[in-house]
Amino acid sequence: MRRDFLKLCGLAGLGVAAPVAIPGLGFAAEEARSASANPDAFEGPYYVVFNASGGWDTTYLMDPKGTDGINRLYGNGDIQTRGQLKFAPNAAHMEAGAGMSNEDFFAEFGSELLVVNGLDYSVNNHSPCARYMATGHLDSLAYPTFAALVAACRGPQCPLAYLTFGNYSNTGNLVPMSRIPYLPSLQRVANADSVEGQQRSPYHDDFVLDRIERTLKAQTDARLSRQVLPRVERAESMLYAAQINSKALQRVTPYIPAEIPKARLAQQVEIALASFKAGVCVSANLTIGQFDSHANNDKDQMKLIPEFLAGIAHLMRRAEALKIRDRLVVVIQSEMGRTPQYNKGNGKDHWSIGSVMFMGKGIQGNRVIGATDEKQFCVPVDPATLATNAEKGVRLRPEHIHGALRELAGITDHRLSAQFPYTVPATERLQGLWG
Amino acid sequence: MDFPLPFSPPLPRSILLAGLGFLSLVCGPSGSRIAAAEVAPPLIKEASQGQPCAVAARPVDPFEEVWLQVGARSCLKCHKPGGDAEDSKFVLRDPAKDSSPHQDESRQHNQTAFQKMAGVREKEGFLMLVKAAGGLDHGGEDVLKPGSPGFRTLEQFVQQVASGTLPATTPGPAMAIEPQGDFFEGVAMMEDGNLLRRLTLSLAGRLPTRDEESQIGQGGLKALAPVLETVMKEEAFYDRLAEAFNDIFLTRGYGEGAESALSYEHFSTTRHWTQKHDLSSITDEKARQKARYKLADDYREALLREPMELVKHIVRENRPFTELVTADYIMISPYTARGYGLFEELKGRFKNTEDPFEYVPVRLPSLKNRTGRDHQESPTGFYPHAGMMSLFQYLRRYPTTETNRNCLRARMYYQHFLGVDVMELAARVKDAAAVTAKFEVPVMQASECVVCHRTLDPVAGVFQDYYSLEGVFGPRKEGWFKDVFGPGFEGEDLPADQRWRALQWLGEHTARDPRFASTMVEHGFYVLTGRKTLLPPKDPAEPHYRAKLHAQQAQHREVARIAAAFVQSGYNFKAILQGWAVSPFYRADGLAAQDLATNPERAEELGDVGLVRLLTPEQLERKVTAIFGRGWGRLQDPQFALLYGGIDSKEVTERATDPSGAMGAIQRAMANDVACRNVPKDFSRPPAERRLFPKIDPDVAPGSSPEADLRIREAIAHLHHLILGRNDAPDSPEVGRIYDLFAGVISDAQERQGFEPLDIYACRVEGEGRIKDPRYIMRAWRAVVTCLLRERDFLYE
Repeated sequence: MRRDFLKLCGLAGLGVAAPVAIPGLGFAAEEARSASANPDAFEGPYYVVFNASGGWDTTYLMDPKGTDGINRLYGNGDIQTRGQLKFAPNAAHMEAGAGMSNEDFFAEFGSELLVVNGLDYSVNNHSPCARYMATGHLDSLAYPTFAALVAACRGPQCPLAYLTFGNYSNTGNLVPMSRIPYLPSLQRVANADSVEGQQRSPYHDDFVLDRIERTLKAQTDARLSRQVLPRVERAESMLYAAQINSKALQRVTPYIPAEIPKARLAQQVEIALASFKAGVCVSANLTIGQFDSHANNDKDQMKLIPEFLAGIAHLMRRAEALKIRDRLVVVIQSEMGRTPQYNKGNGKDHWSIGSVMFMGKGIQGNRVIGATDEKQFCVPVDPATLATNAEKGVRLRPEHIHGALRELAGITDHRLSAQFPYTVPATERLQGLWG
Repeated sequence: MDFPLPFSPPLPRSILLAGLGFLSLVCGPSGSRIAAAEVAPPLIKEASQGQPCAVAARPVDPFEEVWLQVGARSCLKCHKPGGDAEDSKFVLRDPAKDSSPHQDESRQHNQTAFQKMAGVREKEGFLMLVKAAGGLDHGGEDVLKPGSPGFRTLEQFVQQVASGTLPATTPGPAMAIEPQGDFFEGVAMMEDGNLLRRLTLSLAGRLPTRDEESQIGQGGLKALAPVLETVMKEEAFYDRLAEAFNDIFLTRGYGEGAESALSYEHFSTTRHWTQKHDLSSITDEKARQKARYKLADDYREALLREPMELVKHIVRENRPFTELVTADYIMISPYTARGYGLFEELKGRFKNTEDPFEYVPVRLPSLKNRTGRDHQESPTGFYPHAGMMSLFQYLRRYPTTETNRNCLRARMYYQHFLGVDVMELAARVKDAAAVTAKFEVPVMQASECVVCHRTLDPVAGVFQDYYSLEGVFGPRKEGWFKDVFGPGFEGEDLPADQRWRALQWLGEHTARDPRFASTMVEHGFYVLTGRKTLLPPKDPAEPHYRAKLHAQQAQHREVARIAAAFVQSGYNFKAILQGWAVSPFYRADGLAAQDLATNPERAEELGDVGLVRLLTPEQLERKVTAIFGRGWGRLQDPQFALLYGGIDSKEVTERATDPSGAMGAIQRAMANDVACRNVPKDFSRPPAERRLFPKIDPDVAPGSSPEADLRIREAIAHLHHLILGRNDAPDSPEVGRIYDLFAGVISDAQERQGFEPLDIYACRVEGEGRIKDPRYIMRAWRAVVTCLLRERDFLYE
């Protein structure tokens, strides 16, 4: 049985961009390519997931309390508001140059922010919580992160479809994960067919490269026309897609900034933005760690939350400059919250209730969904109205959020999503979460 | 920190082995079956090359079903000796700790217990179902939600017992061979010669010698054992071993500089010896400074290597691999000896005291605190070494904090040495926050937390004297925590008189635990395949559940088989590698005759079969070196290696298994560059000295004569064998397509008016000018080698 290789790539979730003219080489994953001047470039939406790895203290950000000894740095009367959003004040507690205060962040982005409070992670250990928050499924090690899934569904032909800088990054075997640890790394791989990456010094004449590509395709087709083990089939497809798609990396070079920012999150943002702008990336999983403030909670959180927010602001501002801001979908999350009480080391331990924030394309801002009570326990939500309903509501869990994210991305019914279903009853699906 | 922990401890992979179908590896002449007991020692038995090999996978019986979904996952956590429910009438035995052949005894016991309890009926209903749902004051509360897949399975089992319709099962003999469901049926095994190439490249980073090829050619798989014995004496094998075990233990990733392994409290005057080392013999100041930098770099590297040197030493000396947790020594080099302050007394044991990387086993004296107080207690006067567990580097890599309370160490201990990943699958808790708030000491009071902390805390307590925040020796000033379960191991308290040697005590228990052997076999699988063994599927409702279960069972029966041989060999780790080397799981190479497209269940069963491993950056460099005589070099740059899916043992700890676009670009760059450097150079040598083109010169043009075409095809077939490890005939379609590439490139060039008659500058032979290539043949051969270097057969194992 002879099978068409490109069809196979499509079945495997792989797409193939074709930056070189190879007679007979078709295009897969055409649904992912919008009609544009550059048919290979992915034009969005681009998905960015920010992870505050280690567990942020939501009461020092978007779910302020200020009561019952929950926060030592401010009282209930100090809580700030911006539109419908409440937030903890922290400008007075930040170190100079630490990043962006809550006050500044909510002032600049509050109108775009959707806050979901009272999210129940069900457990309170880093690994399962991170997995749960990233995939929407607690009980499986196989599920892909949302970022990986949307990359596989929307831009499998992109050479860096799914960028990740850490945190839980499972791909569900749908799409390769790309790690680009440093900005200069992008330059080093952008012109792989040239000596030392110098475009004017190719190893082979163009017609030779075309011959090589054609031969590789013929060899791959021939091998896959025979019965092979599933792992072989998958590897052949992955390898072919990786090599042929990698040529599109040439498009990244113009968007690599001359100066590399110092802030660690801003560096990740620049790599993601260059890749988005070049149309070679669908999603990026960005992360900074050390939020696990078991000792000296307030000091750590006052250092890290501003750094985190500054990274988000950097993304939005630079995206504006690159004219792709309106194509971003941003998820801002952590794997857990922190206890309402301080421990003996002035730290806070793990808390299975937390929050998540969103902004970007298709998301109506200036809204808060869900809540925690005065002791920081989860308050259930009516899925139909999104109003809190302590008696008849449901506890918001990551699978509810992920179900909604799939809807937002338009991939709920995608065949790849179907491989990783959620068992959320229809009556529990969040209605109108995105506004 | 992991406190409190309302999670359920996931199962060691080996738990699921028992109570299931039993071992029946089949590996012999086509169609024949050999029971495992016959195959085990010696591990290598004859199997026909290129023929299907089969492992029988029994259909899952009702008890297996209920054991997998309910017993092993839920009941066993508490209903076992030492568990929270050890005083109940329903006490199970942990199969993973059952050393009877194939865990027959625990299976029999558990099956009887289940059937007996399933028949008990109270006024509220069947006791087992009521309790499982949290009724009748079940201590574990609701472990199964009515209607859940697990509950339904239990319900069906109870009904079958109550109605007397439970099908008769065949709990023994364990070696029963099922007449159906051969797992490897229709799967073709790799040819012996290719298997040899795979193994020498994998284990020693080289191609097989002609003598080795001859031995395998004549003796088949039977001859593999002595060949492997030789391979496993080569230094490159030990480097490979160190690389793979670092992937597992990640000890190179400990923080704050390599010297930090030696604590300030105990090595304050010696750990920075390189700063004051006498280099006065070097008169030039810059040269002296450069030498000092090198001294420091080598010293740090020597410290980083120490843990893996322990692994290498145990294997090299054919010592029992249980020394991984019991060795009463560490490996020290002349450089690290200076850091420990032991150089003067040890220098006579080194062949070369200036070799930073010559290691010898040494027992450290017990630690003396720089303050003159708080010295380490030791009746023997020695540091109580316990293999890897007590190494400073290991302790630094997995440090503790005041809130973590050694839980990380306990978690890593279970993962590394007993194959239990406590974070693998956390059970959902209705309201974890409420549980946390409800109890004063949740980890000891809340059943959701107790179930795991009863196991985890005692091991954490065994590490209690290694509580210095630097990660090494130093008891907690306030004494060990009282609001956790006390020090011990799986129900046995740490005796007071063993406190000073607590890790040794733990190591001895670990070495006796049957889970240790199976875990080491799983590590061996990782060494050879780069991936972990399969976990059982959890949800019976998930697609292809039964197929996934069959695949996992078949693989884990193989783990059990090799574990048995490993134990019988005296815990020689080489026996594990030999076992996997001839296993159908390692040799599976293709499909003989079945269409998986029309059989998705079978496709799922075979989903993990076959090696197909993307080479790591280190492996790729070694393979280039083995084939071309010199490496590419760029992947030795740590940043480039990370980009190609490598790890740094700190932040990036898992290797990429699929190539991204960036990795695809690196593959292209590698192929272009390696071909450029080697093709002209190879042609510049006399034919007898050539690796790539021993029987052809760059003046043979395609189409000039039938003889010329044949020589070209033979040259391509040689390249296929050398670079890809394929034995394609000169007239095969595979060679034909590459011939077309070669001829097509030349034809295309000649159609272009005035093409450049010289090859590019970058591809010149060192010390010479640009190569004359008036007919474009040299460049066509470069294109051929470039193409081959981008193929899966080269880039994957």
